[in-house]
Amino acid sequence: MATLDDPGEVREGFLCPLCLKDLQSFYQLQSHYEEEHSGEDRDVKGQIKSLVQKAKKAKNKLLKREGDDRAEAGAHGYESFSYGGVDPYMWEPQELGAVRSHLSDFKKHRAARIDHYVVEVNKLIIRLEKLTAFDRANTESAKIRAIEKSVVPWVNDQDVPFCPDCGNKFSIRNRRHHCRLCGSIMCKKCMELIGLPWANKLTSASKDSLSTHTSPSQSPNSVHGSRRGSISSMSSVSSVLDEKDDDRIRCCAHCKDTLLKREQQINEKEHTPDIVKLYEKLRLCMEKVDQKAPEYISMAASLNAGETTYSLEHASDLRLEVQKVYELIDALSKKILTLGLNQDPPPHPHTLRLQRMIRYSATLFVQEKLLGLMSLPTKEQFEELKWKRKQDLERKRTMERQVSLESQRRLEVRQSGLSSRAANGEVTSLRRGPAPLRKAEGWLPLSEGQGQREDPDPLLQQIHNITSFIRQAKAAGRVDEMCTLQENLRQLQDEYDQQQTEKAIELSRRQAEEEDLQREQLQMLWEREREREQEQFRVSSFHTRTRSLDFRELTPFQLEPSPGPRTHLTYALDLDPSPPQSGTAPETPSPTVARVPGQGMSQHSDTSSLNPFAQGLCSPTEEGVASPAAAEAALCPAAATLKEYNPFEEEEEEGEQEKASGNPFGDPDRPGPNPFDEEDDHPPPGPSSPPAPGNPFEEPVCTNPFEVDSDEAEEPIEEELLLQQIDNIKAYIFDAKQCGRLDEVEVLTENLRELKCTLAKQKGGPD
Amino acid sequence: MNVVFAVKQYVSKMIEDSGPGMKVLLMDKETTGIVSMVYTQSEILQKEVYLFERIDSQNREIMKHLKAICFLRPTKENVDYLIQELRRPKYSIYFIYFSNVISKSDVKSLAEADEQEVVAEVQEFYGDYIAVNPHLFSLNILGCCQGRNWDPAQLSRTTQGLTALLLSLKKCPMIRYQLSSEAAKRLAECVKQVITKEYELFEFRRTEVPPLLLILDRCDDAITPLLNQWTYQAMVHELLGINNNRIDLSRVPGISKDLREVVLSAENDEFYANNMYLNFAEIGSNIKNLMEDFQKRKPKEQQKLESIADMKAFVENYPQFKKMSGTVSKHVTVVGELSRLVSERNLLEVSEVEQELACQNDHSSALQNVKRLLQNPKVTEFDAARLVMLYALHYERHSSNSLPGLIVDLRNKGVSEKYRKLVSAVVEYGGKRVRGSDLFSPKDAVAITKQFLKGLKGVENVYTQHQPFLHETLDHLIKGRLKENLYPYLGPSTLRDRPQDIIVFVIGGATYEEALTVYNLNRTTPGVRIVLGGTTVHNTKR
Repeated sequence: MATLDDPGEVREGFLCPLCLKDLQSFYQLQSHYEEEHSGEDRDVKGQIKSLVQKAKKAKNKLLKREGDDRAEAGAHGYESFSYGGVDPYMWEPQELGAVRSHLSDFKKHRAARIDHYVVEVNKLIIRLEKLTAFDRANTESAKIRAIEKSVVPWVNDQDVPFCPDCGNKFSIRNRRHHCRLCGSIMCKKCMELIGLPWANKLTSASKDSLSTHTSPSQSPNSVHGSRRGSISSMSSVSSVLDEKDDDRIRCCAHCKDTLLKREQQINEKEHTPDIVKLYEKLRLCMEKVDQKAPEYISMAASLNAGETTYSLEHASDLRLEVQKVYELIDALSKKILTLGLNQDPPPHPHTLRLQRMIRYSATLFVQEKLLGLMSLPTKEQFEELKWKRKQDLERKRTMERQVSLESQRRLEVRQSGLSSRAANGEVTSLRRGPAPLRKAEGWLPLSEGQGQREDPDPLLQQIHNITSFIRQAKAAGRVDEMCTLQENLRQLQDEYDQQQTEKAIELSRRQAEEEDLQREQLQMLWEREREREQEQFRVSSFHTRTRSLDFRELTPFQLEPSPGPRTHLTYALDLDPSPPQSGTAPETPSPTVARVPGQGMSQHSDTSSLNPFAQGLCSPTEEGVASPAAAEAALCPAAATLKEYNPFEEEEEEGEQEKASGNPFGDPDRPGPNPFDEEDDHPPPGPSSPPAPGNPFEEPVCTNPFEVDSDEAEEPIEEELLLQQIDNIKAYIFDAKQCGRLDEVEVLTENLRELKCTLAKQKGGPD
Repeated sequence: MNVVFAVKQYVSKMIEDSGPGMKVLLMDKETTGIVSMVYTQSEILQKEVYLFERIDSQNREIMKHLKAICFLRPTKENVDYLIQELRRPKYSIYFIYFSNVISKSDVKSLAEADEQEVVAEVQEFYGDYIAVNPHLFSLNILGCCQGRNWDPAQLSRTTQGLTALLLSLKKCPMIRYQLSSEAAKRLAECVKQVITKEYELFEFRRTEVPPLLLILDRCDDAITPLLNQWTYQAMVHELLGINNNRIDLSRVPGISKDLREVVLSAENDEFYANNMYLNFAEIGSNIKNLMEDFQKRKPKEQQKLESIADMKAFVENYPQFKKMSGTVSKHVTVVGELSRLVSERNLLEVSEVEQELACQNDHSSALQNVKRLLQNPKVTEFDAARLVMLYALHYERHSSNSLPGLIVDLRNKGVSEKYRKLVSAVVEYGGKRVRGSDLFSPKDAVAITKQFLKGLKGVENVYTQHQPFLHETLDHLIKGRLKENLYPYLGPSTLRDRPQDIIVFVIGGATYEEALTVYNLNRTTPGVRIVLGGTTVHNTKR
């Protein structure tokens, strides 16, 4: 052990603590120790043991502390253990500091006080009611005096030599006056008067709350009280003489004060100022925005990414709605700003400040939120985006497939003997394939009417359900639920995508196997048909070449007279006798054309029995690839077609018949929509079974007719966009004006003018 | 341990508790500052707080449609104002929060004033200090001591502030203080007293290692606040002065109207947050980048926006652009002013000599340099006095001390009496006699070797050689080597483990240089969190 202290060299590894021999592993060390040093001093062992134990303890301690910290600081405990120190800005969020409430204490004290106060007020009100209960005008003053005295016992004149409020001595000139409400004495200066209307207002307002009190204390009591309070003095009688104002009730400042407060309370209860009403509306609007905006933003984000989870129309509707709310907010806050500005006594500066602040915060709100409101793609852009995304997905999938295919093929070579049997097995298994579809078809509509589509996959069903849930949640206005559901949906879709890719790989493997089988048959056919084929090729290659040039015009043309699957069926049937003339030819204007007709023909001529399953096999995978590629081809100038078809060429070896079936025209008896449709155009956008005219696969091919459409559609969208921009710019101008930035105002107005010009031009254009 | 966050949470809680509706925040002078440090106006506006009123302002209008949130210090005047307010309530409902412990009798008198039952809440929320940075707080008390001893009013305020800090962070610490300072001892005792008295309040869940409160006195290190600083935040404070995150730029020549006073808040100014601890040269290049970035984003205003896409981009970038232009112009102005001052006052040269005075022990060259700078007409009398102060502090007992000569030089330079008096005042305040520890000469062998090594390596930046004394103190504290005879514990118990949560309070004020030190220590020391506080945050003007 002593050598360890030697600072000269440091050795690492599994060193024996006794002889410092380097042993390669723990086990070796152990065995070495047991062999060599077992007889030696036990102390060393003990030492090591205790050392290990110490280390363990320390570790435990550390762990424990870590646990404690974690419990204390929530999820951030780890930070202090990660490495060096932490930027104070990154310190974990702490809980709210200590607080102490005095409310109960406060309430206790207040309750005692309030009881007292409420009793006081009620007493005053009751007395006031008694004082006003009779017809004062038609009662003589002496009688009034009697009634007044009956309400409350008056304080003895002799007891009060000085006015309790101002301290002046009472004399003949400075006479005593009694408060009719509490009976106390004050001088004339300190006396207050209550008009009858005011008194009536107070009593009537509190009647509801006091009715229980007042009813029993009516006449009999007062009669009785009058006797009790009839200890009158000479001076008070004499004071009657100068009391002419009988329609008013005398009272002291304190009682009046209490009554005034009471009045204030009554007033407040009834009155809500305009600003409050407007403000409540404003808040409502803001809440609406807070609800809708995130929904819209997620929509717009998804649309801008080319996803088809939401429909464009719905999103633009929502956008319009939100924008309307913004306008409302703007208008409301403007109204608040100008509230009471033209009133005669101008409002208190603080009121104005309040109004300004509300307006300011509303502007801030609109600015902040409006900014987040990203614009939607136009219809055209959206199509493009959608398509791009599809292609991205496809490309990824194709790559994966190719990789798997290659490895598969190598495998196949080895297992070629088994291939035919394997293929047969596939056939049966695939025949069974469509069965669950039918079943699914049976029950799916139960979940929600929207799905006429069959979802053979539990995942798909799940996705389906969730979309319907989202719809329900939306209807119920549960934003938070919607968020979580959408999150779920996204995850599911991801999962599904992944699953599908795997399936695709699997399927392509099967295809390859099947291909082997077919190739054998092909070989035979090949030779038999070669002569005829070559003859035809001479014609067809020429034919196709011309066609490929103007194939854009051609395909839609072919389609237009008879859209729908029936034509495809005929096409498919046509394939057999004259393959080069069929729809396949324009689809593959590649150098390999020579092979295409041959294979396609041979395929169709002798695998007619295989057809159902063959197509069941290949269509799912190939469709996706074919359609975007076709779309691309259709969109691009004809000259570029060759290049665009590259992905196809790579796949040609996989089996030409897939080309044909990959083409929607050649796929008449495809067994309904299959899972792979969804990958491309996701659950919501309607049924995509082949008979439907809205089939996405038709779209790319008939681009020409569509393009006209979208051109027309483009105009209004642009216009809308312009209008939005104009609105926005207007808002900024207002803002800039407020901030007094004249240069910015100028620039903005310039822009606005231009925008308006453009708008006018656009409007003028189509008309 | 984040003090900004702690106060912010309090304020948020207040606003949340009052529910929806228009609100007014009723504050006093100090709480206004406290709130303004953690919340910006637009932030608080979003929470429906539209008005900010002072409880002592008389012409407040009756607005029954507003809810009032009162955040007040529990002073006698405030309670009186509040009683008046409750007697004649101007708002519909009152949520009352005191920033510190309030007496039962005050609660009672408030309750009795609330005849109309407008009070819905009475609580103590201990946000009773100015949170400057997450790890730096201040109490904004200037001149807290008279001579060596506490001004009693300020002592109680400081105690309140410090206890509020502890409560807001939920820490019940062990206390150590600087033995050489009577003031530190007094404060430590006062804090302890409050903790004992309000023991229920300080009942927090015990952590394994109790937090530590270290109370220091500025007089132990009078040097640090006398040095010119070169990091952004410290520099701005030194040369322009930061007051509650606000900078007064009105003295800057040719300043535009809306830049008279700018707000520098790390909470919502990203550039500032990223650069506040960087030194001046780095700021220069960063601000250049900022400008370039801005230029790039700046829409071509004079150019016509031709396409709709242009237009759209412009509109969408506009508010962003506006915000950015605000930031850019603010920082460009501030940095421009800083560099103007630097060159005008010859600060680079001054700072070099200052650093030499503070960090090296070569008397003759130091004296020479000081004398040379005193002859330089560009050096302001303020800086000159500062140099002499530093000299006086460092070479107080040096055998060939020529302080009288320097003071004569100062007089010859025309430095006013006020500054000349400061020199002797500083020596008296932070001279050797007072200092408990030796500020200039390294104490132990390790420090000596360190300095030696540093000497070999060469100084990488002449302007930032000085490490505040606090760094060493804290370093020792973290390593558990802080001597107990210099910094004793209050009370019998002592801390055995390595401290984890440390709160340092400097009587007489902390500096931004120390804030930087603490910031760096926080960043480099695992498992240790340090919060620095002071009665104020200093610059040389004090």
